[in-house]
Amino acid sequence: MSVLDTNAGGGQARENVIVVRGLTKVFKDFWNRPKARAVDSVNFEVKRGEVFGLLGPNGSGKSTTVKMLLGLLFPTKGHIEVFGHSPRHVATKSRIGYLPEESYLYRYLDSDETLDFFGNLFDIPPAERKQRSEQLLEMVGLSKARRRQVGEFSKGMQRRIGLAQALINDPDLVILDEPTAGLDPLGCREVKDLILALARRGKTVILSSHLLSDVEDVCDRVVIYYGGKIQAMGTLKELLATPDAMRITTPILPRATVEKVLEVIRRDVAEDKVRIDTPTQNLENYFLQVVNKARAQEADTSGATSGNRVAEYLRAGTAENSPSHQARVLDRLTRGDEPIAPAAPVVQVTDVESLSNKKLEQLTKHEVPPAPVPTPSAPPEKARQADLNKANEKLSSLLNKDK
Amino acid sequence: MRRILAIASLTLRAAFRYRVVLVMALLLVAGVIVLPLIIKDDGTARGFTQIILTYTLALTTTLLGFATLWLSCGILAREIEEAQMQMVVVKPIARWQIWIGKWLGIVALNAMLILLAGAAIYTIMQVRARNLTAKEQTILQNEVLVARKVAMEDTPDYEQISRDLIRERLQHEAPPEGLSIPALQTIIREQLKSRDQLVQPNQRRIWTIQVGPPSEVRDKPMTIRVRFDPPVPDLGERFMTFWEFGDLATKTQFETNFVMPSEAFVEFPIPPNLINDKGELHIRFDNRNEKALLFPEDGMQVMYRIGGFGGNFARGLGIVFCWLALLAALGLAGATFLSFPVAAFCTIGVLILSMSTGTLKQIIEENGIVAVDPNTGRVEETKVVNTLAVPVARGLLNTFNLARGFSPIDNLSSGRAITWTDLSQAFFQICILLSGGLAAIGIAIFTRRELATATK
Repeated sequence: MSVLDTNAGGGQARENVIVVRGLTKVFKDFWNRPKARAVDSVNFEVKRGEVFGLLGPNGSGKSTTVKMLLGLLFPTKGHIEVFGHSPRHVATKSRIGYLPEESYLYRYLDSDETLDFFGNLFDIPPAERKQRSEQLLEMVGLSKARRRQVGEFSKGMQRRIGLAQALINDPDLVILDEPTAGLDPLGCREVKDLILALARRGKTVILSSHLLSDVEDVCDRVVIYYGGKIQAMGTLKELLATPDAMRITTPILPRATVEKVLEVIRRDVAEDKVRIDTPTQNLENYFLQVVNKARAQEADTSGATSGNRVAEYLRAGTAENSPSHQARVLDRLTRGDEPIAPAAPVVQVTDVESLSNKKLEQLTKHEVPPAPVPTPSAPPEKARQADLNKANEKLSSLLNKDK
Repeated sequence: MRRILAIASLTLRAAFRYRVVLVMALLLVAGVIVLPLIIKDDGTARGFTQIILTYTLALTTTLLGFATLWLSCGILAREIEEAQMQMVVVKPIARWQIWIGKWLGIVALNAMLILLAGAAIYTIMQVRARNLTAKEQTILQNEVLVARKVAMEDTPDYEQISRDLIRERLQHEAPPEGLSIPALQTIIREQLKSRDQLVQPNQRRIWTIQVGPPSEVRDKPMTIRVRFDPPVPDLGERFMTFWEFGDLATKTQFETNFVMPSEAFVEFPIPPNLINDKGELHIRFDNRNEKALLFPEDGMQVMYRIGGFGGNFARGLGIVFCWLALLAALGLAGATFLSFPVAAFCTIGVLILSMSTGTLKQIIEENGIVAVDPNTGRVEETKVVNTLAVPVARGLLNTFNLARGFSPIDNLSSGRAITWTDLSQAFFQICILLSGGLAAIGIAIFTRRELATATK
């Protein structure tokens, strides 16, 4: 796949929100001598409705690229178009929401004033501003802290208010620089769900992160930076698929059944290529389970509360406006009633050339959830209950302290 | 406009939340109240004015001036350094709107503080004036707490006259040896000035001063404000003075004579209706002393009452306010491309330079930086640096004078009127020309500046 061939998955011609061609940024010292080549001949496009990830280690040029997209830095060479205009075109900025990597908010303003100020910069009328502020504060879980000055906020709370201000204008393009930095796992999940909700509404999201899980969970397409250059680019499916292996997940089976299955498999595949284990869920899912349980048992926190429903104006006029969808976006993560999937062992098979594509489809149809949000799978309730309670206590105290 | 106002009100809010307003308000009120308490006046109306009006107004102007520079440098430079500005410029607001919004915020803050200080000074004056004797109170009401119009004789353009004289002479004669043309012009200019201003022993000087339309000044008592200097400064010396006022032809004359100190302004009343039909007042002075006396350019002033003190005081504060608006623009312009400490240091430097223009004047008068031999008046050959220095000094001085050409504090404490024309002129020159120029420079730099860095 060439660097410029970026028509994401679907193949239909969606409009370009961002076009970057030959973008180069050289930082210079006081005497105008080149100091560092932060971004080097970068090309990419971002289509409308995409969640686009800029991935790379610290100092690889992600943030510099983002700052050039926003007109905060000027390219040394190359060309950027945002909605068909230069990044410095003032009117275009009314369609953009930006969350910087650190909280650059005014420390002396409280949450309400912060949103009111930024709302004013978008020329939003007072009544509308007030309504949106309320919904956003509710959404990011700061409605109890609306009169507290931002300078007093914890890092996580500052992140939340930062996210709220980025959405005050109902932007068509949301640029998020390390959006989950400083957030607890609950907050991370909320942000990720919010990103997905925005994408479903046809909004374009650019996400810059060095946290692989962030990118993996939400991005349609990513570029991977290293040393200011793009090292890889494509959809996650293209980049991550291992086409020569497959995995079957089932509930725990009796030993006899497993033997039978293995017997069938061994007819096609050598024994040393087959592996059986019990899948472990990832820590994020486990953590969320514990917290949800704690919340069900009640815990009032003075800090940021967990986010609630996506602000109404951000939902309006979309297919997702259905009650079922609204429930899915954030609520699901904040309530303790999520059904826990039964534990399942995994049979991992390598080199299964003989299995037809048809078979594969049938197998995956029922197992893989349709939404990009990973469905948590969990160990049997009884076996884990003791551990869960222990962790529950620990994390509850941690949460109350750290908020 | 909503965007500009949002920035302005944010700036104001910052000043309140960081307690700048509280501290400044306390400092101003304390200064205005405490200063007259610790410095005793001598019981005269003039001493009273000196302390209550001049000192407190000067204190207010200085305090607010430095605070404005400091604040305007800080409010922009620190927002850029701490990256809050990044959050603003990515919103649909042009950079000029941000700059103007900041400026308006600081200007509004100054308006509040100057109103507060003005009210405090006015109240203190009214309260303290009761302690004066009845006689001094009358002087106070007549000489200080009034708005008097000032008329002076037109000063000839000595620069032009001396230039014409030289041109005329060089047509017939060769230039004098060892003396450059500019040096020669300086000598001639000074000679012309002293010819007009110096009154030799047993000589008479006559002034013709256009006071005002006769209808406007009819029946109005007038005050003469006069000052002269002896050839060698000596504060203790007194001189006998002989004065005649009015037109010889109309026979409406007034004569007076008295002993007067030198090197200080002296005021004395003359009766009304001494001016002629053209609105002119003729003044004759006889020097019967043994020494020559020099009347400086503003050494002879005719004043008459045109209004009360309140309005005059408000207009005076208006001019101070224009200065503060200019300082806000200066601070912001510096902060658009310098870091906070450097911007504060540089702009305060510019302020000090503008307040001490003696050197600039000297460079212009001596036609260069190279010293003139005081005995021969000879100047070394004009060098490249001088051909550059003179226009630069002239440009700087003219620019500074656009703001310095007003003296509201001096006018208020001598009861001279600050007219609406003065105020509008101050507004035009200071707020439009100078502040506008600084704003243009500041905005141009701000628009071209990258507001993020590699790390922030």
